[in-house]
Amino acid sequence: MDLTWNGGETGFRWPWLVPVLALLVLVLMAWWARSRDRRSSTGASYVAHAARLRALPRYQALVRRQVAIGTCLTVAALVACAGAIVLGARVQERQSLVREDRTRDIILCLDASGSMAEVDAAVLREFRTIVDGLRGERVGLTIWSGVAITIFPLTDDYEFVLEQLTEAESAFGSGGIYSDDYARYTAGTVIDWTVQSQLGDGLASCVQRFDNRDQERSRAIVLASDNEPIGEGIYDLEGAAELARSEDVVVHGIAAPMTADRPSAARLFRDAVTSTGGTFSLLGQDGSAATVVEAIGRLEAKEIERPPIVQVLDRPRLGTVVAAVGVGGLGVVWAVQGALALAARREDAS
Amino acid sequence: MPAHLPRIKARLSIHAHRKVRGLLEGEYAALHVGRGIDFNDLREYVRGDDVKDIDWKASARSRQLLVKRYVAERKHTVLLCVSTGRSMAAMNDAAVSKRELAVLVAGVMGLLAVQHGDLVSLVHGDEAGRHAEPPKGGELHLERLLGTVHDAIRPDGAHTDLAALLRYVVRTVRRRTILVVVCDETTVPDETADLLRRLTVQHEVLLLTIGDLDPTQPTVADRRLVDVDSAAEVPGWLRHDRRLRRELATLVREEEQQLRRRLEQLGVVHERVHDTESALTAVFRLLERQRHARRR
Repeated sequence: MDLTWNGGETGFRWPWLVPVLALLVLVLMAWWARSRDRRSSTGASYVAHAARLRALPRYQALVRRQVAIGTCLTVAALVACAGAIVLGARVQERQSLVREDRTRDIILCLDASGSMAEVDAAVLREFRTIVDGLRGERVGLTIWSGVAITIFPLTDDYEFVLEQLTEAESAFGSGGIYSDDYARYTAGTVIDWTVQSQLGDGLASCVQRFDNRDQERSRAIVLASDNEPIGEGIYDLEGAAELARSEDVVVHGIAAPMTADRPSAARLFRDAVTSTGGTFSLLGQDGSAATVVEAIGRLEAKEIERPPIVQVLDRPRLGTVVAAVGVGGLGVVWAVQGALALAARREDAS
Repeated sequence: MPAHLPRIKARLSIHAHRKVRGLLEGEYAALHVGRGIDFNDLREYVRGDDVKDIDWKASARSRQLLVKRYVAERKHTVLLCVSTGRSMAAMNDAAVSKRELAVLVAGVMGLLAVQHGDLVSLVHGDEAGRHAEPPKGGELHLERLLGTVHDAIRPDGAHTDLAALLRYVVRTVRRRTILVVVCDETTVPDETADLLRRLTVQHEVLLLTIGDLDPTQPTVADRRLVDVDSAAEVPGWLRHDRRLRRELATLVREEEQQLRRRLEQLGVVHERVHDTESALTAVFRLLERQRHARRR
């Protein structure tokens, strides 16, 4: 699980402080300007014919210089103030960790009986395309007939999953049920030839394949079968569905085309699957594989919602930089002023 | 209301000993060309008296120089013409209040006239208006005139306009007077020059100018200075600049030289008053120069 914090919105901790401080600065400036204006005549000496002084070229030069320095000082001071205000209002970044739902487990639960080989191949083929789009979900593959065997347990190693799915697809799809591949692949699913294709047992076995039962996970089973059991199993379909319900496992059923020939079996299958909250589709009846894709897509859409983890971080860099620029500017201007004064003194001395 | 005349008298007695005071008197007496022919009495000669007035016979008898005093043909009038615009409320180049200086020099001239038995009148004004006081004798009248001058000069008053004041004198004063102009002009524009030329024909014109404070002077560096004309502060940061000080000093020097040259051309006797100590000397020099100028 990789953790990526989404850089969320950046804002002020105390946004009202910005206008308040800005207003304070303005008020102070206004007050200062007023007090400068007001202290005109009291305690001052008068001088007449000062227009002569103002007409001197040196006076003009000095005034221009002072205006330039004053402007720079004002700008620098305002920048420093702005930085201080930003610092004061505390820039904070609200980061949220949206935890992608990595707690979903999907088990492909395939009926390995001879009649289902083609359907299984189709399901596997479709599922392979889906694996590419999966992120974090764990996928497992279990095949069953009389007995369920785990091809691979729940894992999020998709490379391995793809490899396994390809292998399974070729085993089911390539040579038909009489090929060696098929026989080797499904070896162990039938112990007793009188007990085969036990849908109830298969489903129950698949339900038991889920691990970490104490964790809150969304669990789903893609169950492909034709519901044509031979012999007597431990679980009947009803019982297995109830087990699934009690474990909060959603079962999506995919029935083989020939299931339609036996309406009661199909209905049984449908009822069992829908009772767990899953979907039921009859393969081949309506565009075959598309239904599988759709079913699994729905399965994907059903993510569990988890509140994102939110962390709030102070971001003082902007304020610090702005304030530093302002203070640095003040320092530079003062240095320039000092240098000018020094130069003037040196010129006088020489 | 502060008593101006006693203070001026005190200053006269402090800064100018008796001899100089007599000197001033003599110089003032010599101002009058048209002396009467009726002999009044004799008095001791003081420097500055016209040598022509010495009564040699009486002097020989009494073994001291005596001069004849005549009853003046008619009483002379000293017309104090003081520019009382707001620029006069400032400080002068020696950091002395220009108002005090104006009152002092006007008071010295007036006192001389009053003690001589002459009449003193006053014309003062600024851009906004001109005012005249009728010629009268007596120290009380002079005191009142000085009070008027003192009160008319205010930093929030109207701007200075010497030309308008002189035009007012040209227009309103008919009699021949000793016209004592107290102002703070730095230049003599053509209009003022024309008016002065016109006035010298009618009057004995004595011009006293008061200098201005140099804002870049180090002695006032720690003081806040406000330009009285525009009511704006002369910023402290530029008053330390030595180059500016040099430039201003050059400008002021040139202006003063030009002013002197111009007034010389016009034949107006001019003296600059710097501080209270030198004011009396300035008045004395002014009177002396006036006498020499006439004799020429």
